[in-house]
Amino acid sequence: MLAGPDIVVIALVALVVLVLFAGIKTVPQGYRYTIERFGRYTRTLEPGLNLIVPFIERIGAKMNVMEQVLDVPTQEVITKDNASVSADAVAFYQVLNAAEAAYQVANLENAILNLTMTNIRSVMGSMDLDELLSNREVINDRLLKVVDEAVRPWGIKVTRVEIKDIQPPVDLVDAMGRQMKAEREKRAQVLEAEGFRNAQILRAEGAKQSAILEAEGQREAAYREAEARERLAEAEAKATRLVSEAIAAGDLNAINYFVAQKYTEAMTSIGTASNSKIVLMPMEASALVGSLGGIGAIAREVFGDQGTRPVRPATPAAPAAATRVTPPARTTPTVNPFGPSSET
Amino acid sequence: MTARIVTELGPWSWWVLGMLLLAAELLMPGVFLVWIGLAALATGALSLLLWDLAVWSWQVQALAFAFASVAFTLAGRRYYGRADIGSDEPLLNQRGASLVGRTATLAEPIREGRGRIRLDDTFWIVSGPDLAAGTRVRVVSSNGRDLTVEET
Repeated sequence: MLAGPDIVVIALVALVVLVLFAGIKTVPQGYRYTIERFGRYTRTLEPGLNLIVPFIERIGAKMNVMEQVLDVPTQEVITKDNASVSADAVAFYQVLNAAEAAYQVANLENAILNLTMTNIRSVMGSMDLDELLSNREVINDRLLKVVDEAVRPWGIKVTRVEIKDIQPPVDLVDAMGRQMKAEREKRAQVLEAEGFRNAQILRAEGAKQSAILEAEGQREAAYREAEARERLAEAEAKATRLVSEAIAAGDLNAINYFVAQKYTEAMTSIGTASNSKIVLMPMEASALVGSLGGIGAIAREVFGDQGTRPVRPATPAAPAAATRVTPPARTTPTVNPFGPSSET
Repeated sequence: MTARIVTELGPWSWWVLGMLLLAAELLMPGVFLVWIGLAALATGALSLLLWDLAVWSWQVQALAFAFASVAFTLAGRRYYGRADIGSDEPLLNQRGASLVGRTATLAEPIREGRGRIRLDDTFWIVSGPDLAAGTRVRVVSSNGRDLTVEET
Protein backbone atom coordinates (compact mmCIF):
# COMPACT_ATOMS: atom_id res chain seq x y z
CA MET A 1 0.00 0.00 0.00
CA LEU A 2 1.01 3.58 -0.56
CA ALA A 3 1.98 5.64 2.42
CA GLY A 4 0.95 9.28 2.88
CA PRO A 5 4.15 10.78 1.49
CA ASP A 6 3.89 8.56 -1.57
CA ILE A 7 0.45 9.93 -2.33
CA VAL A 8 1.73 13.46 -1.81
CA VAL A 9 4.49 12.78 -4.33
CA ILE A 10 2.01 11.45 -6.87
CA ALA A 11 -0.27 14.41 -6.29
CA LEU A 12 2.65 16.78 -6.64
CA VAL A 13 3.70 15.30 -9.96
CA ALA A 14 0.13 15.52 -11.18
CA LEU A 15 -0.09 19.11 -9.99
CA VAL A 16 3.15 20.06 -11.69
CA VAL A 17 1.91 18.58 -14.96
CA LEU A 18 -1.39 20.44 -14.65
CA VAL A 19 0.37 23.68 -13.72
CA LEU A 20 2.57 23.37 -16.74
CA PHE A 21 -0.46 22.62 -18.84
CA ALA A 22 -2.15 25.76 -17.57
CA GLY A 23 0.95 27.92 -17.72
CA ILE A 24 2.30 27.17 -21.14
CA LYS A 25 0.41 29.16 -23.77
CA THR A 26 1.32 29.06 -27.40
CA VAL A 27 -0.20 31.93 -29.37
CA PRO A 28 -0.45 31.36 -33.12
CA GLN A 29 0.50 34.05 -35.58
CA GLY A 30 -2.36 36.36 -36.35
CA TYR A 31 -3.75 36.27 -32.82
CA ARG A 32 -3.22 38.11 -29.55
CA TYR A 33 -4.33 36.73 -26.21
CA THR A 34 -5.23 39.06 -23.41
CA ILE A 35 -4.20 38.05 -19.90
CA GLU A 36 -6.39 38.77 -16.93
CA ARG A 37 -4.96 38.63 -13.44
CA PHE A 38 -7.83 37.95 -11.09
CA GLY A 39 -10.14 39.12 -13.82
CA ARG A 40 -8.29 42.36 -14.49
CA TYR A 41 -6.50 42.91 -17.76
CA THR A 42 -2.75 43.04 -17.33
CA ARG A 43 -1.01 42.27 -20.60
CA THR A 44 -1.31 40.85 -24.08
CA LEU A 45 0.45 37.71 -25.26
CA GLU A 46 2.30 37.94 -28.56
CA PRO A 47 2.48 35.03 -30.99
CA GLY A 48 4.91 32.33 -29.91
CA LEU A 49 5.66 30.42 -26.69
CA ASN A 50 4.34 32.22 -23.64
CA LEU A 51 4.14 31.35 -19.96
CA ILE A 52 1.54 32.69 -17.65
CA VAL A 53 1.37 32.30 -13.93
CA PRO A 54 -1.24 29.67 -13.23
CA PHE A 55 -3.87 30.26 -10.57
CA ILE A 56 -3.71 34.04 -10.80
CA GLU A 57 -3.55 34.66 -14.54
CA ARG A 58 -6.03 33.56 -17.12
CA ILE A 59 -6.46 33.96 -20.82
CA GLY A 60 -9.17 36.60 -21.28
CA ALA A 61 -9.87 36.99 -24.99
CA LYS A 62 -8.29 35.49 -28.04
CA MET A 63 -8.30 38.31 -30.54
CA ASN A 64 -7.84 37.82 -34.22
CA VAL A 65 -5.59 40.62 -35.45
CA MET A 66 -5.78 39.74 -39.10
CA GLU A 67 -7.72 42.01 -41.39
CA GLN A 68 -11.27 40.76 -41.59
CA VAL A 69 -14.11 41.24 -44.00
CA LEU A 70 -17.52 42.18 -42.82
CA ASP A 71 -20.44 41.83 -45.16
CA VAL A 72 -22.89 44.64 -44.62
CA PRO A 73 -26.32 43.32 -45.56
CA THR A 74 -28.61 45.05 -48.03
CA GLN A 75 -30.65 47.86 -46.59
CA GLU A 76 -33.12 50.40 -47.84
CA VAL A 77 -31.84 53.96 -47.98
CA ILE A 78 -33.86 57.08 -48.72
CA THR A 79 -31.81 59.53 -50.70
CA LYS A 80 -31.95 63.30 -50.42
CA ASP A 81 -34.36 63.50 -53.34
CA ASN A 82 -36.62 60.88 -51.78
CA ALA A 83 -35.67 57.95 -53.96
CA SER A 84 -35.64 54.68 -52.12
CA VAL A 85 -32.63 52.60 -53.06
CA SER A 86 -31.24 49.43 -51.62
CA ALA A 87 -27.54 49.31 -50.98
CA ASP A 88 -25.13 46.78 -49.58
CA ALA A 89 -21.52 47.18 -48.68
CA VAL A 90 -18.45 45.43 -47.47
CA ALA A 91 -16.18 46.62 -44.69
CA PHE A 92 -12.62 45.61 -43.91
CA TYR A 93 -11.30 46.03 -40.42
CA GLN A 94 -8.32 44.97 -38.43
CA VAL A 95 -7.76 44.78 -34.70
CA LEU A 96 -4.72 46.88 -33.95
CA ASN A 97 -5.00 46.96 -30.18
CA ALA A 98 -6.18 43.62 -28.90
CA ALA A 99 -6.88 44.80 -25.36
CA GLU A 100 -9.06 47.71 -26.40
CA ALA A 101 -10.89 45.60 -28.94
CA ALA A 102 -11.50 42.97 -26.26
CA TYR A 103 -12.65 45.20 -23.44
CA GLN A 104 -13.85 48.52 -24.86
CA VAL A 105 -16.68 47.05 -26.86
CA ALA A 106 -18.93 44.07 -26.47
CA ASN A 107 -19.69 42.10 -29.56
CA LEU A 108 -17.21 43.87 -31.76
CA GLU A 109 -18.40 42.60 -35.11
CA ASN A 110 -22.00 43.52 -34.46
CA ALA A 111 -20.94 46.95 -33.29
CA ILE A 112 -18.96 47.63 -36.46
CA LEU A 113 -21.79 46.30 -38.57
CA ASN A 114 -24.38 48.56 -37.00
CA LEU A 115 -22.09 51.54 -37.13
CA THR A 116 -21.43 50.99 -40.80
CA MET A 117 -25.08 50.51 -41.62
CA THR A 118 -26.22 53.67 -39.90
CA ASN A 119 -23.43 55.65 -41.50
CA ILE A 120 -24.29 54.33 -44.93
CA ARG A 121 -27.75 55.67 -44.32
CA SER A 122 -26.63 59.08 -43.21
CA VAL A 123 -24.02 59.50 -45.93
CA MET A 124 -26.22 58.24 -48.72
CA GLY A 125 -29.22 60.06 -47.34
CA SER A 126 -27.38 63.34 -47.75
CA MET A 127 -26.86 62.85 -51.47
CA ASP A 128 -29.09 62.91 -54.54
CA LEU A 129 -29.66 59.71 -56.46
CA ASP A 130 -27.59 60.91 -59.40
CA GLU A 131 -24.73 61.84 -57.11
CA LEU A 132 -25.08 58.53 -55.38
CA LEU A 133 -24.73 56.54 -58.54
CA SER A 134 -21.82 58.48 -59.94
CA ASN A 135 -19.82 59.21 -56.79
CA ARG A 136 -19.09 55.85 -55.24
CA GLU A 137 -15.59 56.96 -54.47
CA VAL A 138 -16.84 59.93 -52.51
CA ILE A 139 -19.31 57.79 -50.57
CA ASN A 140 -16.62 55.27 -49.75
CA ASP A 141 -14.23 57.95 -48.59
CA ARG A 142 -16.79 59.66 -46.41
CA LEU A 143 -17.95 56.38 -44.94
CA LEU A 144 -14.42 55.33 -44.25
CA LYS A 145 -13.61 58.59 -42.48
CA VAL A 146 -16.70 58.53 -40.32
CA VAL A 147 -16.58 54.85 -39.42
CA ASP A 148 -12.85 54.80 -38.85
CA GLU A 149 -13.12 57.78 -36.54
CA ALA A 150 -15.97 56.16 -34.65
CA VAL A 151 -14.21 52.84 -34.05
CA ARG A 152 -11.10 54.55 -32.77
CA PRO A 153 -11.81 53.85 -29.10
CA TRP A 154 -12.22 50.20 -29.88
CA GLY A 155 -8.63 49.70 -30.91
CA ILE A 156 -9.55 48.62 -34.36
CA LYS A 157 -9.05 50.21 -37.71
CA VAL A 158 -11.56 50.14 -40.51
CA THR A 159 -9.34 50.11 -43.55
CA ARG A 160 -12.04 50.17 -46.17
CA VAL A 161 -15.75 50.55 -46.57
CA GLU A 162 -16.93 49.85 -50.07
CA ILE A 163 -20.45 50.18 -51.37
CA LYS A 164 -21.00 47.01 -53.34
CA ASP A 165 -24.25 47.65 -55.07
CA ILE A 166 -26.75 50.46 -55.29
CA GLN A 167 -30.07 49.30 -56.62
CA PRO A 168 -32.67 51.95 -57.43
CA PRO A 169 -36.32 50.86 -57.75
CA VAL A 170 -37.26 49.16 -61.03
CA ASP A 171 -39.42 51.99 -62.36
CA LEU A 172 -36.63 54.46 -61.65
CA VAL A 173 -34.17 52.27 -63.53
CA ASP A 174 -36.63 52.28 -66.43
CA ALA A 175 -36.90 56.03 -66.33
CA MET A 176 -33.15 56.35 -66.18
CA GLY A 177 -32.84 54.11 -69.20
CA ARG A 178 -35.29 56.22 -71.11
CA GLN A 179 -33.55 59.38 -70.04
CA MET A 180 -30.26 58.05 -71.27
CA LYS A 181 -31.79 57.04 -74.57
CA ALA A 182 -33.40 60.44 -75.00
CA GLU A 183 -30.10 62.07 -74.23
CA ARG A 184 -28.36 60.06 -76.89
CA GLU A 185 -31.10 60.79 -79.39
CA LYS A 186 -30.89 64.46 -78.64
CA ARG A 187 -27.19 64.38 -79.25
CA ALA A 188 -27.68 62.51 -82.48
CA GLN A 189 -30.22 65.04 -83.70
CA VAL A 190 -28.08 67.96 -82.76
CA LEU A 191 -25.19 66.40 -84.59
CA GLU A 192 -27.33 65.80 -87.63
CA ALA A 193 -28.63 69.36 -87.64
CA GLU A 194 -25.14 70.67 -87.24
CA GLY A 195 -23.95 68.57 -90.11
CA PHE A 196 -26.79 69.84 -92.29
CA ARG A 197 -26.04 73.42 -91.32
CA ASN A 198 -22.38 73.06 -92.09
CA ALA A 199 -23.18 71.47 -95.41
CA GLN A 200 -25.53 74.31 -96.32
CA ILE A 201 -22.98 76.89 -95.33
CA LEU A 202 -20.33 75.22 -97.41
CA ARG A 203 -22.66 74.99 -100.35
CA ALA A 204 -23.67 78.67 -100.10
CA GLU A 205 -20.05 79.65 -99.79
CA GLY A 206 -19.27 77.70 -102.91
CA ALA A 207 -22.08 79.44 -104.76
CA LYS A 208 -20.90 82.82 -103.54
CA GLN A 209 -17.37 82.12 -104.61
CA SER A 210 -18.44 81.03 -108.03
CA ALA A 211 -20.68 84.08 -108.48
CA ILE A 212 -17.83 86.34 -107.44
CA LEU A 213 -15.48 84.67 -109.84
CA GLU A 214 -18.00 84.92 -112.63
CA ALA A 215 -18.63 88.60 -112.00
CA GLU A 216 -14.93 89.23 -111.88
CA GLY A 217 -14.55 87.48 -115.18
CA GLN A 218 -17.28 89.60 -116.67
CA ARG A 219 -15.73 92.75 -115.29
CA GLU A 220 -12.39 91.83 -116.72
CA ALA A 221 -14.00 91.03 -120.04
CA ALA A 222 -15.84 94.36 -120.05
CA TYR A 223 -12.62 96.22 -119.34
CA ARG A 224 -10.91 94.44 -122.12
CA GLU A 225 -13.82 95.10 -124.45
CA ALA A 226 -13.84 98.77 -123.59
CA GLU A 227 -10.15 98.87 -124.23
CA ALA A 228 -10.72 97.16 -127.53
CA ARG A 229 -13.34 99.72 -128.48
CA GLU A 230 -11.01 102.48 -127.46
CA ARG A 231 -8.30 101.01 -129.60
CA LEU A 232 -10.76 100.62 -132.39
CA ALA A 233 -11.88 104.22 -132.16
CA GLU A 234 -8.27 105.32 -132.07
CA ALA A 235 -7.56 103.28 -135.13
CA GLU A 236 -10.61 104.73 -136.87
CA ALA A 237 -9.61 108.22 -135.93
CA LYS A 238 -6.16 107.58 -137.21
CA ALA A 239 -7.57 106.17 -140.41
CA THR A 240 -9.89 109.09 -140.83
CA ARG A 241 -7.03 111.45 -140.18
CA LEU A 242 -4.93 109.69 -142.75
CA VAL A 243 -7.77 109.84 -145.26
CA SER A 244 -8.40 113.50 -144.65
CA GLU A 245 -4.68 114.12 -144.85
CA ALA A 246 -4.60 112.24 -148.10
CA ILE A 247 -7.56 114.27 -149.37
CA ALA A 248 -5.99 117.48 -148.23
CA ALA A 249 -2.83 116.52 -150.00
CA GLY A 250 -4.55 115.08 -153.09
CA ASP A 251 -7.76 115.55 -154.99
CA LEU A 252 -11.27 115.76 -153.61
CA ASN A 253 -12.56 113.72 -156.50
CA ALA A 254 -10.82 110.65 -155.18
CA ILE A 255 -13.21 110.51 -152.29
CA ASN A 256 -16.11 111.31 -154.50
CA TYR A 257 -15.17 108.30 -156.53
CA PHE A 258 -15.30 106.01 -153.62
CA VAL A 259 -18.60 107.35 -152.34
CA ALA A 260 -20.13 106.93 -155.76
CA GLN A 261 -18.81 103.43 -156.10
CA LYS A 262 -20.18 102.40 -152.69
CA TYR A 263 -23.49 104.03 -153.48
CA THR A 264 -23.96 102.21 -156.73
CA GLU A 265 -22.87 98.95 -155.12
CA ALA A 266 -25.52 99.40 -152.47
CA MET A 267 -28.10 100.15 -155.13
CA THR A 268 -27.08 97.01 -156.97
CA SER A 269 -27.51 94.85 -153.88
CA ILE A 270 -30.91 96.35 -153.28
CA GLY A 271 -31.85 95.76 -156.85
CA THR A 272 -30.77 92.13 -156.87
CA ALA A 273 -32.50 91.27 -153.59
CA SER A 274 -34.68 88.22 -154.30
CA ASN A 275 -37.48 88.91 -151.90
CA SER A 276 -39.06 91.82 -153.69
CA LYS A 277 -38.65 93.87 -156.80
CA ILE A 278 -40.43 96.79 -155.32
CA VAL A 279 -37.79 98.95 -153.79
CA LEU A 280 -38.64 101.79 -151.54
CA MET A 281 -36.00 104.38 -151.98
CA PRO A 282 -35.87 106.53 -148.88
CA MET A 283 -32.77 108.27 -150.09
CA GLU A 284 -33.02 111.17 -152.31
CA ALA A 285 -32.63 110.37 -155.98
CA SER A 286 -30.96 113.68 -156.38
CA ALA A 287 -28.20 112.44 -154.07
CA LEU A 288 -27.58 109.64 -156.49
CA VAL A 289 -27.67 112.09 -159.29
CA GLY A 290 -25.31 114.21 -157.21
CA SER A 291 -23.00 111.32 -156.93
CA LEU A 292 -23.31 110.72 -160.60
CA GLY A 293 -22.40 114.32 -161.01
CA GLY A 294 -19.34 113.57 -158.94
CA ILE A 295 -18.54 110.72 -161.26
CA GLY A 296 -18.98 113.02 -164.16
CA ALA A 297 -16.64 115.47 -162.58
CA ILE A 298 -14.07 112.72 -162.20
CA ALA A 299 -14.57 111.68 -165.80
CA ARG A 300 -14.24 115.19 -166.98
CA GLU A 301 -11.14 115.73 -165.07
CA VAL A 302 -9.59 112.52 -166.29
CA PHE A 303 -10.80 112.25 -169.80
CA GLY A 304 -11.35 115.88 -170.60
CA ASP A 305 -7.76 116.78 -169.95
CA GLN A 306 -5.94 113.75 -171.21
CA GLY A 307 -8.08 112.25 -173.93
CA THR A 308 -8.65 108.48 -174.00
CA ARG A 309 -5.97 107.55 -171.58
CA PRO A 310 -7.10 105.12 -168.91
CA VAL A 311 -7.65 106.56 -165.50
CA ARG A 312 -4.65 105.03 -163.79
CA PRO A 313 -2.53 107.96 -162.67
CA ALA A 314 -5.20 109.59 -160.49
CA THR A 315 -6.35 106.50 -158.67
CA PRO A 316 -3.21 105.16 -157.04
CA ALA A 317 -3.31 107.64 -154.22
CA ALA A 318 -7.06 107.40 -153.57
CA PRO A 319 -7.51 103.60 -153.56
CA ALA A 320 -4.54 103.31 -151.32
CA ALA A 321 -6.18 105.64 -148.86
CA ALA A 322 -9.51 103.89 -149.27
CA THR A 323 -8.13 100.40 -148.63
CA ARG A 324 -6.58 101.64 -145.49
CA VAL A 325 -9.83 103.14 -144.33
CA THR A 326 -12.33 100.45 -145.17
CA PRO A 327 -10.91 97.29 -143.71
CA PRO A 328 -11.16 98.43 -140.06
CA ALA A 329 -14.70 99.67 -140.74
CA ARG A 330 -15.74 96.34 -142.15
CA THR A 331 -14.19 94.27 -139.39
CA THR A 332 -15.75 96.26 -136.56
CA PRO A 333 -18.08 93.56 -135.23
CA THR A 334 -15.39 90.90 -135.20
CA VAL A 335 -12.69 93.02 -133.69
CA ASN A 336 -10.46 91.05 -131.40
CA PRO A 337 -9.62 92.95 -128.22
CA PHE A 338 -6.05 91.88 -128.66
CA GLY A 339 -5.94 92.86 -132.29
CA PRO A 340 -5.38 96.60 -132.16
CA SER A 341 -2.43 96.27 -129.81
CA SER A 342 -0.51 94.48 -132.52
CA GLU A 343 -1.23 97.23 -135.02
CA THR A 344 0.25 99.95 -132.83
CA MET B 1 -0.15 -4.54 -15.20
CA THR B 2 1.39 -1.07 -15.43
CA ALA B 3 3.33 -1.76 -12.27
CA ARG B 4 4.63 -5.03 -13.71
CA ILE B 5 5.77 -3.36 -16.92
CA VAL B 6 7.45 -0.60 -14.98
CA THR B 7 9.16 -3.13 -12.72
CA GLU B 8 10.34 -5.16 -15.69
CA LEU B 9 11.55 -2.16 -17.70
CA GLY B 10 13.40 -0.64 -14.75
CA PRO B 11 15.09 2.65 -15.66
CA TRP B 12 13.95 2.31 -19.27
CA SER B 13 10.35 2.96 -18.27
CA TRP B 14 11.20 6.72 -18.09
CA TRP B 15 12.60 6.56 -21.58
CA VAL B 16 9.47 4.89 -22.83
CA LEU B 17 7.32 7.48 -21.09
CA GLY B 18 9.40 10.32 -22.51
CA MET B 19 9.15 9.03 -26.05
CA LEU B 20 5.43 8.46 -25.71
CA LEU B 21 5.01 12.03 -24.52
CA LEU B 22 7.07 13.39 -27.42
CA ALA B 23 5.03 11.33 -29.84
CA ALA B 24 1.86 12.67 -28.25
CA GLU B 25 3.20 16.21 -28.69
CA LEU B 26 3.61 15.59 -32.39
CA LEU B 27 0.05 14.31 -32.61
CA MET B 28 -1.46 17.11 -30.54
CA PRO B 29 0.74 20.17 -30.96
CA GLY B 30 0.57 22.50 -28.00
CA VAL B 31 4.21 22.94 -27.04
CA PHE B 32 3.36 21.46 -23.68
CA LEU B 33 4.02 17.69 -23.68
CA VAL B 34 7.39 18.23 -25.29
CA TRP B 35 8.85 19.68 -22.07
CA ILE B 36 7.39 16.93 -19.93
CA GLY B 37 8.66 14.36 -22.39
CA LEU B 38 12.12 15.86 -22.26
CA ALA B 39 11.92 15.77 -18.45
CA ALA B 40 11.00 12.09 -18.59
CA LEU B 41 13.96 11.39 -20.84
CA ALA B 42 16.25 13.28 -18.46
CA THR B 43 14.90 11.35 -15.51
CA GLY B 44 15.50 8.15 -17.48
CA ALA B 45 19.09 9.16 -18.12
CA LEU B 46 19.61 9.82 -14.39
CA SER B 47 17.91 6.52 -13.59
CA LEU B 48 20.37 4.64 -15.75
CA LEU B 49 23.16 6.05 -13.61
CA LEU B 50 21.53 5.96 -10.22
CA TRP B 51 19.17 3.01 -10.50
CA ASP B 52 20.97 0.84 -7.95
CA LEU B 53 21.33 3.53 -5.29
CA ALA B 54 18.91 3.26 -2.36
CA VAL B 55 18.22 6.97 -2.51
CA TRP B 56 16.82 6.70 -6.07
CA SER B 57 13.42 5.43 -4.96
CA TRP B 58 10.42 5.95 -7.20
CA GLN B 59 9.31 8.88 -5.07
CA VAL B 60 12.62 10.65 -5.64
CA GLN B 61 12.37 9.81 -9.32
CA ALA B 62 8.88 11.34 -9.47
CA LEU B 63 10.07 14.50 -7.73
CA ALA B 64 13.06 14.69 -10.06
CA PHE B 65 10.70 14.33 -12.98
CA ALA B 66 8.44 17.11 -11.72
CA PHE B 67 11.40 19.38 -11.12
CA ALA B 68 12.88 18.60 -14.51
CA SER B 69 9.55 19.39 -16.18
CA VAL B 70 9.45 22.86 -14.68
CA ALA B 71 13.13 23.40 -15.43
CA PHE B 72 12.78 22.37 -19.07
CA THR B 73 9.74 24.55 -19.53
CA LEU B 74 11.47 27.61 -18.14
CA ALA B 75 14.60 26.90 -20.15
CA GLY B 76 12.54 26.36 -23.27
CA ARG B 77 10.70 29.61 -22.81
CA ARG B 78 13.93 31.37 -22.12
CA TYR B 79 15.42 30.11 -25.34
CA TYR B 80 12.46 29.96 -27.68
CA GLY B 81 10.28 32.67 -26.22
CA ARG B 82 12.55 35.46 -27.38
CA ALA B 83 10.75 37.61 -29.92
CA ASP B 84 13.80 38.47 -31.97
CA ILE B 85 14.49 35.03 -33.38
CA GLY B 86 12.87 32.78 -35.80
CA SER B 87 10.89 35.19 -37.94
CA ASP B 88 11.72 36.82 -41.23
CA GLU B 89 8.57 38.91 -40.96
CA PRO B 90 8.87 40.43 -37.51
CA LEU B 91 6.22 43.09 -38.24
CA LEU B 92 3.54 40.66 -39.32
CA ASN B 93 0.11 41.71 -38.04
CA GLN B 94 1.57 44.93 -36.68
CA ARG B 95 0.12 47.22 -39.21
CA GLY B 96 1.05 50.48 -37.57
CA ALA B 97 4.63 49.46 -36.89
CA SER B 98 5.06 48.29 -40.44
CA LEU B 99 4.35 51.83 -41.67
CA VAL B 100 7.17 53.45 -39.72
CA GLY B 101 9.55 55.16 -42.13
CA ARG B 102 6.95 55.64 -44.86
CA THR B 103 6.29 59.11 -46.19
CA ALA B 104 2.98 60.58 -47.20
CA THR B 105 1.26 63.91 -47.63
CA LEU B 106 -1.22 65.18 -45.10
CA ALA B 107 -4.76 64.73 -46.34
CA GLU B 108 -6.03 66.85 -43.50
CA PRO B 109 -4.01 69.37 -41.56
CA ILE B 110 -2.71 68.46 -38.14
CA ARG B 111 -4.64 70.62 -35.71
CA GLU B 112 -4.37 70.24 -31.98
CA GLY B 113 -2.09 67.33 -32.55
CA ARG B 114 -4.34 65.28 -34.81
CA GLY B 115 -4.49 64.99 -38.55
CA ARG B 116 -4.94 62.44 -41.25
CA ILE B 117 -2.81 60.97 -43.99
CA ARG B 118 -3.71 58.67 -46.80
CA LEU B 119 -1.51 55.60 -46.99
CA ASP B 120 -2.11 52.29 -48.73
CA ASP B 121 -5.54 53.52 -49.85
CA THR B 122 -6.84 54.07 -46.36
CA PHE B 123 -6.77 56.96 -43.91
CA TRP B 124 -4.57 56.97 -40.87
CA ILE B 125 -4.97 59.30 -37.98
CA VAL B 126 -1.65 60.87 -37.20
CA SER B 127 -0.37 62.98 -34.39
CA GLY B 128 2.45 65.45 -34.47
CA PRO B 129 3.18 69.15 -34.59
CA ASP B 130 0.56 71.34 -36.28
CA LEU B 131 1.10 71.27 -40.02
CA ALA B 132 -0.89 72.36 -43.05
CA ALA B 133 -2.60 69.90 -45.34
CA GLY B 134 -0.40 68.75 -48.19
CA THR B 135 2.78 68.78 -46.11
CA ARG B 136 5.02 65.81 -46.67
CA VAL B 137 5.46 63.86 -43.48
CA ARG B 138 7.31 60.76 -42.40
CA VAL B 139 5.92 58.21 -39.97
CA VAL B 140 8.32 58.01 -37.08
CA SER B 141 6.50 55.74 -34.67
CA SER B 142 3.28 53.95 -34.05
CA ASN B 143 1.34 52.91 -31.02
CA GLY B 144 -0.72 50.43 -32.93
CA ARG B 145 -3.57 52.53 -34.14
CA ASP B 146 -2.24 56.06 -34.34
CA LEU B 147 0.90 57.12 -36.07
CA THR B 148 3.29 59.83 -35.04
CA VAL B 149 4.68 61.89 -37.87
CA GLU B 150 7.20 64.63 -38.41
CA GLU B 151 7.76 66.94 -41.30
CA THR B 152 10.30 65.60 -43.74
